[in-house]
Amino acid sequence: MNSLSRIYALANNTFREAIRNKLLYMLLGFSVVMISSGVVLATLSYVEVHEILQDMGLAAIRFFSVGIAIFVGIGLIHNEVDRRTIFTILSKPVSRNEFLVGKWAGLTFTVWLLLALMAGAFAIVSLLAGAPLGLDHLVAIVLIGLELMVVVAIATFFSSFTTPMLAALFSVGLWMIGHLSRDLHALGQQSEVGTVTTMANFVFLLMPDFEVFNKTLEAVHGLPIDSGEIGLAFVYAVGYTVCTLILGAMIFSRRDFK
Amino acid sequence: MSHVTDERETIVRVCDVVKDFRPGFGLRRKRILHGVTFDVHENEIFGFVGPNGAGKTTTLKVLMGLIRATEGSASILGCDVAESEFRHQVGFLPENPYFYPFLTAREILDFYARLSGVPASERARRVDQLLGTVNLGHAMDARLKTFSKGMLQRVGIAQALIHDPKVVFLDEPMSGLDPLGRKEIRDLILSLRADGKTVFMNTHILPDVEMICDRVAIIVKGQIRHQGRIEDFLPEAGRKTDVVLGGLPPETADSLGERFDLKMRGLGDRVELQVAEKDVHQVLDSAISAGAEVVSVTPQRNSLEDVFLDAVRAGGAPE
Repeated sequence: MNSLSRIYALANNTFREAIRNKLLYMLLGFSVVMISSGVVLATLSYVEVHEILQDMGLAAIRFFSVGIAIFVGIGLIHNEVDRRTIFTILSKPVSRNEFLVGKWAGLTFTVWLLLALMAGAFAIVSLLAGAPLGLDHLVAIVLIGLELMVVVAIATFFSSFTTPMLAALFSVGLWMIGHLSRDLHALGQQSEVGTVTTMANFVFLLMPDFEVFNKTLEAVHGLPIDSGEIGLAFVYAVGYTVCTLILGAMIFSRRDFK
Repeated sequence: MSHVTDERETIVRVCDVVKDFRPGFGLRRKRILHGVTFDVHENEIFGFVGPNGAGKTTTLKVLMGLIRATEGSASILGCDVAESEFRHQVGFLPENPYFYPFLTAREILDFYARLSGVPASERARRVDQLLGTVNLGHAMDARLKTFSKGMLQRVGIAQALIHDPKVVFLDEPMSGLDPLGRKEIRDLILSLRADGKTVFMNTHILPDVEMICDRVAIIVKGQIRHQGRIEDFLPEAGRKTDVVLGGLPPETADSLGERFDLKMRGLGDRVELQVAEKDVHQVLDSAISAGAEVVSVTPQRNSLEDVFLDAVRAGGAPE
């Protein structure tokens, strides 16, 4: 049996565990409500009704899917250690790296599935409201999917060595910084103090740049999306995920399970 | 105990293993294992015995690769315990096992079978067979969250055996089981040995150890105090035998008392003698010649418990 089969077994089990979490369905329900609430908000405006509806919808998809990814991800490894289910798993021919990747893959697949459901709700609401739907909207949602892949990797990384509370704090913090890092970088470039500029560059390099996955504006307003940017986002997501998981695996491999 | 010969292949080797933990964020280390060394041989049942907090589970976790030894080395089937590929030959039951409550007994065993590399063609048959072996055939499709502690223990034993391993590590296997369940698990462990497997058992239930183990190591405060075959703990010299006689003439009783070093007490019309093992034949010959009836002859054995308690009392822990 090869490594991929073991990772598949672990991912499949993680998926089965995640979809049994009732809170997940509550968050999914809330997200659908928020996506639909765009219809109400749009009625308050006389202009750009469809844009407000879709802007709200895509924002709700991003917010709730990232929330679910972090909410489930922060306990992904910690719960296995806390409940001691990891003891029997690692006593089988499963390496710690395979365990970590299997858990990440299972949760990523789960949030992708939820993203697809939210996207379905978004499409239905848009069609009912007569808002235009095109390839750009699909691209924007696929990019959110790539962002989720990175967010799950970050949550898995923190979950591999700290408590869910701290992992939540770090993951949410990193996600927020990730959406502000371009602004912070631009701000640093305007500074006349060299140290500030250097620090801003350093932070920009180290922190994730989640804005590469944000094409909501283009999708909603029908602006062109450069295919090169999509390719870059894909490479960036894979690269950041791999690096984060490798770092997580390095820490996880040194852990003692008391 | 005829199963044991020290020339057998060494299956588990633990050599001078030291384990330190840092409690909290302090720099001060606490030493849990102080140079633990022992071997487990092929096709034996090895009992790892010690009081609570002695380091039994820590040693087992080192062997399972769940914690890393600070110093020393440990290997199973010649492979370093830090590796994972050889573990398809190893089964492990942790203490008080916990499983995903949302899965059924059949699903959890299928999951472990997949992780262990059991071929798809064999998985279903193996799962059904093992659930039958541990008497869970009636609860195959029930969710684990509905299982009692004893039933979870049985699931734990089944998952440890799902891939037909060569070596099985059991941490308190009788925990949570009723007397009947304990008997079944004892029989199962004996059948594993009969099938040629090696069993390493952590426990503090000494009668179980005496009943089924070939060799024993006693660990107290992180140090191995005794190690060897159970008979080796009990010295030949000084062994006594209880002899109960009926109709022993008083003058013969007096004569036996003068000739041999024995203790005697009356039990109604019977007499109980505590005789040194080397004198048993002569005492019996004299008594029978004098017309006495032999009611019972029972060799006295110090129990493992005596040795265990001595080891615990003598164990001043090195810090």
